[in-house]
This record gives sequence, C-alpha cells and structure tokens, in this order.
Amino acid sequence: MLSILRDLLRYNREFAAGAVLLAIVVALAAMSAFAPMPPEDVYVVPPDVPPSWAYPMGTTSRGQDVFWQLAFAIRNTLLFGFIVAILSRILSLVIGLVSGYLGGIVDRVLMSINDTFIVMPLFPILVMFYFVMKDRMSWAALALVMAGLGWAYDARLIRSIAMSLRTRQFTEQSVFSGMSTSQIVTQDHLPYVMPIVFSTTMNNINWSIGLEVTLSVLGFTNINTPTIGVMIYWANQHTAMTAGVWWWIFFPVALVIMTFIGLFLLAVSMNEYIDPRSRLSRMRGTRT
Amino acid sequence: MTAIASPAPGDVIAKPQREPVLVVSDLRAYYQTHYFGIVREVRAVDDISLHINPDEIYGLAGESSCGKTTLIKTIAGAIQPPLNVVGGSVRFNFGGAPLDVYASTPQARNAIRWRHLSYIMQGSMSVLNPVRRVRQSFIDFAFRHIGQPMPQFIDTIVAHLERLHLQANVLDAYPHELSGGMRQRVTIALATVCRPEFIIADEPTTALDVVVQKGVLAMIRGIQREIGSSMLFVTHDLAVHANLTDRLGIMYAGRIVEEGPTAEIFRAPKHPYTANLIHSLPRIGDTAPKKGLDGVPPNLAEPPPGCRFHPRCPLAMDICRRENPAMEPSGPGRRVACFAVTRGEPS
Amino acid sequence: MSEPLLEVRNVCKAFGMGGLLARYRFAAVNDVSFTIEQDRHEIFTIIGESGSGKTTLARMILNLVPMTSGSIRFRGTDLATIRRPADRLAFMGHVQPIFQNPFEAFNPLKRVDRYLFTTARRFTDARSTGEVESRADLALRKVGLSLAEVKQRFPHELSGGQLQRVAVARSLISEPSLIVADEPVSMVDASIRMSIVNLFKTLRDDLNVSIIYITHDLATAYYISDRIMIMKKGEVVESGPARTVLADPQHPYSILLRNSVLSPDAKGELLEPQFSTTERDLAGTR
Repeated sequence: MLSILRDLLRYNREFAAGAVLLAIVVALAAMSAFAPMPPEDVYVVPPDVPPSWAYPMGTTSRGQDVFWQLAFAIRNTLLFGFIVAILSRILSLVIGLVSGYLGGIVDRVLMSINDTFIVMPLFPILVMFYFVMKDRMSWAALALVMAGLGWAYDARLIRSIAMSLRTRQFTEQSVFSGMSTSQIVTQDHLPYVMPIVFSTTMNNINWSIGLEVTLSVLGFTNINTPTIGVMIYWANQHTAMTAGVWWWIFFPVALVIMTFIGLFLLAVSMNEYIDPRSRLSRMRGTRT
Repeated sequence: MTAIASPAPGDVIAKPQREPVLVVSDLRAYYQTHYFGIVREVRAVDDISLHINPDEIYGLAGESSCGKTTLIKTIAGAIQPPLNVVGGSVRFNFGGAPLDVYASTPQARNAIRWRHLSYIMQGSMSVLNPVRRVRQSFIDFAFRHIGQPMPQFIDTIVAHLERLHLQANVLDAYPHELSGGMRQRVTIALATVCRPEFIIADEPTTALDVVVQKGVLAMIRGIQREIGSSMLFVTHDLAVHANLTDRLGIMYAGRIVEEGPTAEIFRAPKHPYTANLIHSLPRIGDTAPKKGLDGVPPNLAEPPPGCRFHPRCPLAMDICRRENPAMEPSGPGRRVACFAVTRGEPS
Repeated sequence: MSEPLLEVRNVCKAFGMGGLLARYRFAAVNDVSFTIEQDRHEIFTIIGESGSGKTTLARMILNLVPMTSGSIRFRGTDLATIRRPADRLAFMGHVQPIFQNPFEAFNPLKRVDRYLFTTARRFTDARSTGEVESRADLALRKVGLSLAEVKQRFPHELSGGQLQRVAVARSLISEPSLIVADEPVSMVDASIRMSIVNLFKTLRDDLNVSIIYITHDLATAYYISDRIMIMKKGEVVESGPARTVLADPQHPYSILLRNSVLSPDAKGELLEPQFSTTERDLAGTR
C-alpha cells in the first residue's frame, strides 16, 4: 500500500498535485491544536486588522484571528466530511455487496429502500431537520443525517458490480472451496469495489462539505461550532464584503476551493488507477 | 541464388509465376509501455519474414499470445501505440501497384482498405452494427468502393449473397435476427463483395459450432477460389488448417518456427514444436496415448536466450541455449528454424 | 453397493423467456436420464453444441440451479433436499467442479493458494497451517505440480495449463467421488491440452474418481471417454459406449456431428460444400 502511494506520488501528476493541496489543508487543520485561544472566544484581538505580519490573514469584525479561526473551521469541516463519507461508505458497501451477491428477495427489498433514498430531495429534508431539532442540531447529528442520506447512489453502483462478480467463475470456485457468503463478499468481491469506493469517498467528502457550507452559510446549522460555512455566515452577518473586510471571506473560500480541487484530483487519479490488472502490471513492471 | 543448376534445398520456393501479393521482411513489432516510469517491452512479433502468393490461402497457427494477432494487425497497418513497428517492412503488391505499409501515407493506406484488403473477424457482432439493418452495413462498407448507382449496387450485393447461399431478405434483417453461422456468412460476404486481392481472416470460425463451422469454411474456400484473392488465415485449430490452407506457418513465441505446404507439414513436421502439436492431436478412431508438451510458453517480455523453444524442446542442444536459429530452407518450399533439423543432431 | 453414485432421472429445466406479455417457456434441458454407478469409475462425456443444454445440466448436477422437474440423486440423496449450508458443504465435499476458463476461475486479485488452503480447511480435518499446506502440496503433486511452484503466486503469474492443473488439484483436496468438468480444455493451448486430458485419465484410473466431462470436441471425447451422451437442444439423441457411438453413430444428428469433425489428416483436401445440411441446421438454430 505504501509503495503504491509512493509510486502514485512519483508518477501521477494529478495525484501529486491533489496530495500537495490536501497536505496544506490538513496541515492547517492540524495547527488548530496549537491555537493560543479557544475558537469560541470573541474580541481577543483587535478587530478588522488587514493581513499583516502579526495577523497573517487579518482579524474579523468579531475580534478573532482569521488564521486560527480558519484552522479550527477547516478541522471541523474536514472531520465532518470524513465522518459522513466513512459512515455512508459502510452503508453503501454492505447494502450494495449483500444485495448484489444474494439477489432475489433480499435484493428487491434493499433496492426498494435504496430507490426511495435516491428520489428523496435532500436539501429540503436537511432544512426540515434543522427546524425540527433547532438547538439540538449539533455538528454530529448533522453528520449522521447526511451519512444516512448519502449512500444510495453508490450502493446501486456497488450492487451492479457485485451482481456481475457473482456470475464470474471464480465466485463459484470460492463457493466450492467451501467459503461462506461473508468470506466471498469480503475477500473476493470487496477488493474489486475498493478502488471505486476510494474514488467515491473523495466525491462524497466534497458533496458533504459543499452541503454543510451551504446550510451553514444560510444559518441552518449550529452557528457556534466554527466550520468554513459558519465563518462565512458570520462574515455575511457583519457585511464583511461591503465593509471592506475582504480577508474574512477570501481565506475561507480559497481554502475550501483548495480542498475541493485537492479531493477532485485525488478522485480522478484514483479513477485512472481502478483497473486492477493494469495496476498490477504497472506496479510490477518486468520482474527480472 | 547462384546455384540455379542444382535444385538445392536452398531454393525456398519454385519461382512463382506471379509476384507475391504480400512480402513481409524482417518484421519486428513490440509493445512498448512506459507506465509510472517502468519500461516494458513485449516482443510480440520478432523478426518475421514471409510472403503470400496470389490465389493462395496461407495459414498461420499458434497458441494464445504467441503474437499471431499482433502479426496480422501489423500486416494490416492497424497498429496503435503501445504497439510499435521497430524494424522491417510490410509490402503489398496489388496488380502491379506496390504499397509499403510503413513507408506510405495514411491516405494511401486507407485507400486500399476494403477495395484491395479486407478482413473477416471472429466476432461477427463487432463488424455488423447491431442497431442497423444488414443492408446499411453493406452500404457503409462497400458503396463508395464499388461505385455503382444504388439500384445496381443492391443487385450486385444480392448476386454476391447468393454465392454464399444467403437470400436477399437477410439485407432487411438486424444482425441479432440471424444465427451465428448466417451472421458469419454475412461478414464473409461483406469482406469479399469488393473482390479484394487480399483477405485477412482472424479465427473466423472459432466461435461457431462444429456443424456450422464446416459449411462456413467450405464457403470461404469456395469464394476465395472464385474471386482468386489471397488469404491470410489465422486460427489455433490445426484441423482447420489441414482442411483449408495451402501453405502453413507455425508461430511460437513471436517467431515463425516452421513454414511449408500444409499437407507436407502434416505429413512430416520438422520442428519439434510442430511435431508435438501434430502428433498430439486426438483423432477419432485413434486410441494411441498422446502426450502434451511439458513447460509453458515463454513470457514475451523476457524471452529465454537462444531458441525460444529450447526450455521445452526434447532435442535441445548447447547451441540452442546460446543462439537463435534462423529460418533456413529445408526441403522444397519449406523453411524451419531449428538447429537440430538444419545442422543435424549432435553426433 | 446397490445405490448408484449419481442418478439423473427425467430431468427438465425450463427458463421463462420474453417480456411481460409474450412470455414463453424455453426448455434448456428436456427429460434427460442417466446413471453413474458407484463402483465403476468412469469418464462419462456429455457432448453438445452451444444451446444443447449441457452446461445447464452440469449446473443442476452441481446443485447450483434447481431443476424444473425430475430428480437427481447423489448416493440416494435427492439434491432438492440439500438446502441447508451444512448439507451443501457436505455435498460439495463429494462433488467438485472444474471450470472452463482457467483465467476466469481464479480471482485475479487473490493468490491462487488461498483456494487450496480454504478447501483443505473446510473439507479435511487439517487445522494447523502445516497440515493445510501439506494437504495442498499432496493434491498438487497428484497433478504434477508442487506447492513451491504455486505458493504466493497470483493467477497472472501462472500459465493457463498450470492454472487448470491447480483447479484440478483444488477439486481433489476434498477427495470427491465425482468431478464435473465443463469444457475444461477448450481454453487451454494445444501443446498443453493433451497433458490435461491425460490427467483426467489418471484421476479415473489411479484416484478412483468418476468424471462427467462436458465438451463439444468429439476427438478428445473419443480419446478419454468410457461412455458418451450426445445432446441436442436439451434432449439426448444418442448415448452408449464412447467408441462404439463415435465410430458408428446411429441418430442423424450424431452422424452429422461426426461428419462435421475436421480431420487433421485431410491433407489439404478441398472441403466439399454441404450446403443442404448446413442450411437446414442454420435454419434450425433460430
């Protein structure tokens, strides 16, 4: 696995560029551990100072240092994206693989649930959740709801692959080797869908960050936990753009765009890397 | 050749009455890949020379991944990276108009396609457009080459289909409405309707059932005789070669190891590989035990030194491990690449 | 030994075809019966062209698809009653398949030895790694390989012939009494084909395994079979001792099949076009 990453970094420009962009973003998120002040505190620094040596990204109208605020925000936003992606990946993998391998009545039941989730309009449901739960709508609750809504498309994709894998001769070879259903699904079929899972993970993180930012900007989330969206929300509340405090908006937007492009490049290079046979031959080369 | 007086075995073939339609000289075509900085070179076609005379069916036999598909791609000029021609030449001669495939323009190559050079492929479905009627495929492939107004053109097609015992109504059918054998006959009709001088047939009957296969082969033979074209017929099935081809080339690991009149090769194979292939063929009525070859064909990315067959060869000598045997004449019209045959067994 | 090893009686398999309104039933296998005796180890060959139902029949014998009517009994047990996972596992210990395409029969992302090791764990009393490996090695030696050649290898690192040998070795680990081989040599290269075919003879003669050999190739069928059964469109048209049937077929279809085999000894003779028979057969395939 490590050697694969090394080779990808060395020989695949998209992957290298995406990895560098994400490394910057993650490094900034890691900086939050060294922040001199807690993120919730306001008026700890002079407000509305443009970027300078003392405050490299300037300060907000609420007297917060944009740099440290951003570190916390991106940490929370990334964490949010990862949690949504991982939870929804687990759901889509289990449902897709089991449904595709077992077929029959199991498949029909699971896929009717799946189709229900596909046709449900996401945004109004999320807004509705906010209005129902109001203050109890924490960051974690939102992640759970989004994970519950974000698995359906990929489960269908995984199911279609599992269905074709089921008819392959090696699956029957495994059956007659005495392997159980769970062994076949996890050992024979899972490796086939993993590259697709990696690639859709990137897209899913993008999707969940995008939705989170959208909801936050509109104020439909807990506005006390700093995230990128919440930062932009506060900037808008203080009419930062018209007040000339452009750095309050510019840096979060730039960072989230960097995150998006980084994840997108990783997803693209993963896509190119999906075919397992060419992967093996590329990595091995000629063995002498 | 200096020694014209004595019909030495060096005389590769009796002077042909007409010039060969195809001459392949010292052809090398390698798959060259550069993935993630790792360079691979697969020598799928390595130093092959052959010629095909007018009005003859030249058979090419070999196992999977011995390079026979690469060879016909290279001959047809249908190569794409990572497959590259590294050396040698492919020259056609259509009625006195020579064409060197790798020294001519793409336009010149395209101009000969279908008019002079056509193909019969294994998967008839990949030739016939599945969502259009057969008539449309004929129009797409042949209309501009035949250059007749549409009504006469259709008459020509119908007359041609009749040669293959197909009725005019197949023109109005979709490919999936025809059986496998009929579909393959339609692709044969497509490939021969322009009366090309040269036809490349790549495993055209492999996917067919035995009963249908025999009929289709007979039709290929019949139509080839009628329009007098030359044919390069590729299949791994030696029984098909025995029944169809005039001359036969046996490929092993990217090289031709034996060549000669098909009947002669079957009567007395010279190369140990050919000999094993032919002697191990099961025959109905023959209960003698047959033996397969031990070992595996070499990986063409790293072929063994010397003769590529020596690790599996029962006659291997020291020289076989060091030097690569060249194709040398051995008997009338025959060539073989084997030290044990051309230099005699070690005493 | 009164009970036969395998008793196939009046087996039919029909598939529903077509759309919602124009449904019709298509009989893939129609009223097939044959018996393989317990103590006479033999190679029983099922010959047929594409669409003859031979593969469907094999899958029913392997208990992979249920039959529409009739019964298949293995040592007296009706396959239809084998539904619980434990029963299925026990059945698989006695009846093992060999698949057509060796490159398809192993997961390209997995090492081939895992199939041998899992089979040994599931079907034998071997538990420790050492025991499992020696079981695998023992089976591989029966097919002319050894564990050292196969261990840690991926399928693409082995040739088709080697992979097919590994597949045979895997099927032998559970010491089955019946092997169902569906076109096991049609994807194997000519130079290696006969060694695999000979291997089946060895299994029958030395290891006392009965083999159901499914093929479209009459020449190899003649070479190794004891009895053959010729199928056409789901029905048995002729069956009997292999050499008798192939030397002197009686049914018109068997005769056609026999005459269509291209002899390697044809010496480049021109094929005589047989348009009448071909035409009729072509018309019949749709």
